[in-house]
Amino acid sequence: MPVDHKRINGPEDTVPYSLYTKTNKQSLTEQYEEIRKTGQRTDSRAFSEHRKIFVRTGAVSQAKGSAYIELDNTKVIVSVFDPREIPNRPDYSLKGELYCEFKFAPFSCHKRRLHVQDAEEKQHSAIMKRALESTVCLHEFPNFQVDVYATVLENDGSCLSAAITAAGLALAHAGVPMYDIITSVTMGIQRDTFFVDPTVTEQNICLYPRPSESDTEHGIVVLSKLHTHDQVSQFYQFGNVSLDKLNESISILDETCRELVPIVQKYLVKHVVKNLQRNT
Amino acid sequence: MSKNIQIRLASQRINTSVPGNQRYPKIFTPGQVITAQNEFMRGHGTYEENGELKASVAGVREQVNNLISIRPLKSRYNGEIGDVVVGRITEVQQKRWKVDTNSRLDSALLLSSVNLPGGELRRRSVEDEHMMRQFLQEGDLISAEVQNVYSDGSLSLHTRSLRYGKLGQGVLVKVFPSLIKRSKTHFHNLPVGASIILGNNGLIWICTSINNSEESVGGFVQNLEEVVPRQERETICRIRNCILALTQSKMMLYDTSILYAYEESLKYSVAELLIPEAMLDIAILTQQRLTMLENA
Amino acid sequence: MALCDAEKTFVLHGVQDNFRIDGRELDDYRPMELETDVVSHAFGSARLRLANTDVLVAVKIELDVPFPESPQNGKIEFFVDCSANATPEFEGRGGEDLAIAISNTLTTAYSSSLAFDSRKLCLLNGKKCWKLYVDILILECGGNLFDAVSIAVKAALWNTRIPFVKNVNIDGNNIDLDVSDDLCLCERLDIENAPVMVTVCKIGDKCIVDPNAAEEHCSMGSVVVAVSGTKISTIYQTGTGSLHPATLTESLQLGFRVAIRLNEALSKVLSRIRPDEEAGFLK
Repeated sequence: MPVDHKRINGPEDTVPYSLYTKTNKQSLTEQYEEIRKTGQRTDSRAFSEHRKIFVRTGAVSQAKGSAYIELDNTKVIVSVFDPREIPNRPDYSLKGELYCEFKFAPFSCHKRRLHVQDAEEKQHSAIMKRALESTVCLHEFPNFQVDVYATVLENDGSCLSAAITAAGLALAHAGVPMYDIITSVTMGIQRDTFFVDPTVTEQNICLYPRPSESDTEHGIVVLSKLHTHDQVSQFYQFGNVSLDKLNESISILDETCRELVPIVQKYLVKHVVKNLQRNT
Repeated sequence: MSKNIQIRLASQRINTSVPGNQRYPKIFTPGQVITAQNEFMRGHGTYEENGELKASVAGVREQVNNLISIRPLKSRYNGEIGDVVVGRITEVQQKRWKVDTNSRLDSALLLSSVNLPGGELRRRSVEDEHMMRQFLQEGDLISAEVQNVYSDGSLSLHTRSLRYGKLGQGVLVKVFPSLIKRSKTHFHNLPVGASIILGNNGLIWICTSINNSEESVGGFVQNLEEVVPRQERETICRIRNCILALTQSKMMLYDTSILYAYEESLKYSVAELLIPEAMLDIAILTQQRLTMLENA
Repeated sequence: MALCDAEKTFVLHGVQDNFRIDGRELDDYRPMELETDVVSHAFGSARLRLANTDVLVAVKIELDVPFPESPQNGKIEFFVDCSANATPEFEGRGGEDLAIAISNTLTTAYSSSLAFDSRKLCLLNGKKCWKLYVDILILECGGNLFDAVSIAVKAALWNTRIPFVKNVNIDGNNIDLDVSDDLCLCERLDIENAPVMVTVCKIGDKCIVDPNAAEEHCSMGSVVVAVSGTKISTIYQTGTGSLHPATLTESLQLGFRVAIRLNEALSKVLSRIRPDEEAGFLK
């Protein structure tokens, strides 16, 4: 792997100290058992309850549009830049293109992230592009490319869906023509528990199957929705889930996505009103 | 085969060649000496070295009087004046369309060599030039005739007959140009209820029967609303799969062979014609019937 | 390849009529051809041909140290190479996006220990494990790549023979592996639950599987469903365009149903494979 020598890379084979502390993998099972027993999540939310979200636009003043989103400890900043001609393309394309870059800040996760995009970040970029493509009116800017950059400042779970929601807001803030407002929610599944908008610990719980006698289902689902058109613009899942459970999760996520729409709408309206007041 | 997914092992692959009834001609490979006598003239696919005539492509020898040329076994289409071709518009330019006809260079269809709506003897006005994309746009399929072959090998086409023009709903099949047998007509209305255009360039168009009474071809009108009825659709798809079966066994394509293959295929369902054994079966049966026809 | 509107209409109406242009029904698959053990230098290999799509998969094994986060697990890595042999579009970095999408989908599909148990690849807890390099080479690209790749990968893993380790000696920090010299003595992987992917393509308001090139052209977007055993291990969307939630569930159902059939067909054919039956690429 190419190493950037201008940056501090740290030794290659370091081990996070947290492996030696009490909260290691074994205890994830215990944590899950405890959550199951008490029927309450660690932050005393209901299982189907989304975290409180905080959004604002214009976080990056030099970008054409930008948005900042906070789901408690998950913090993502997204900026959108002016359309520019698609680079390195000889032929003319009737439709515009989106370029998405999803990046974890080096300090955002438990383990330090490198500056080069890794496979997970590339995958997330592709999903983000897929989600946003069907909401932007691409035919309105032929042969142009709009760049969307998302940086996760702090990862406490559901950062991909947070980035997608924020990117939709940032695109709207930038005045890019869009069909609809896009909202996105993540869900973690472990056996018969659905964690809507999971935190990082809850995500880790759902990442691996817990030793159990019978039903060992686990996984993470991300769904992005265009609200007024009632269209799923992106759906991504991994793990090991039965079809029935997946269908159930789709309907729950659908509902949660709908709940987020007014928040995003309200903020956009607020932004416009504020600008109008400033101008008069 | 429906509801069953076929995965076969490569060791059970079948040999798709059909025993022919004629002697195989000698095949020359590049660099091979064709003749050392120098009274012959150098044709396509050959070159001269040290007084010897050598092949530059792999293929069979063709001789016309003193002219020796090597016809490659597999090549792109080499156009000849009067050929019927099926092509796809790739570009709309000033006063002409660029057409992909599976030949080495793009072919051109001049605005002056098409029949515009509203009669044959109309002058091409400036409006027509602006309207060109409305007649034919990128991606559209046309049938046409080769009007002229330029010195670099590129073709100029014309559609100045009611038989030619924009193609409607149907299926395009691409085969090697050398598999298309040259015949008097390349437009066939098969009695089974479909018509085919065997383009000399290896593109075959299959569509519903064309009624000669209503002149649907030759214009620029497509009916996208019309749904092809199930039975005709089945016929079209069956012909498509039959042509692919014959192609797989490298058999010549013309109206009789396609019709025979169609008749032999009736014992299979259309989807079954994708199975290699069925395809071979049809090719062998067709070959037998053709031999019988020849001997009769 | 571009299609004109009339051709698209013909394809579309055919799909609506449950009679596609090659005569198949919506959930029919084209016949495929599979061959295992084609690369002699690899520990396991397979080649799959589905109409014009041709995929070659080879598995290489190396010794490695497990990740500190998961000391009991071995490693498996997928690498897809879209060579310019397939189509000139892949020249340079042209095929990179597609390659990343396929390899990432494979990685996530194999990530769950219920789909592929990487604990069996561990030799010594936290110290030594096998690492499987699954190299996927796209030789010819005629559409429906995800499905073809997943079947070929599964067959290659089925074919993989891991050297048998007789003994592990620990001497201070030195670890000595005693690998059996006998080539016949080897372990095979358990691939019963290895995921099989099915791409469900949406055309008009119907969903089809195993699209050919013309049908892929008419489609607005597709959903890749990876099924391991009777559970869904990964879902990934490709292409543009969005789906109605009802269509999404419908396509998941279709993909799931077909994947189970595909898996059955694959295990049936794998059980039929005899050693030393070679065909090679061109016969």
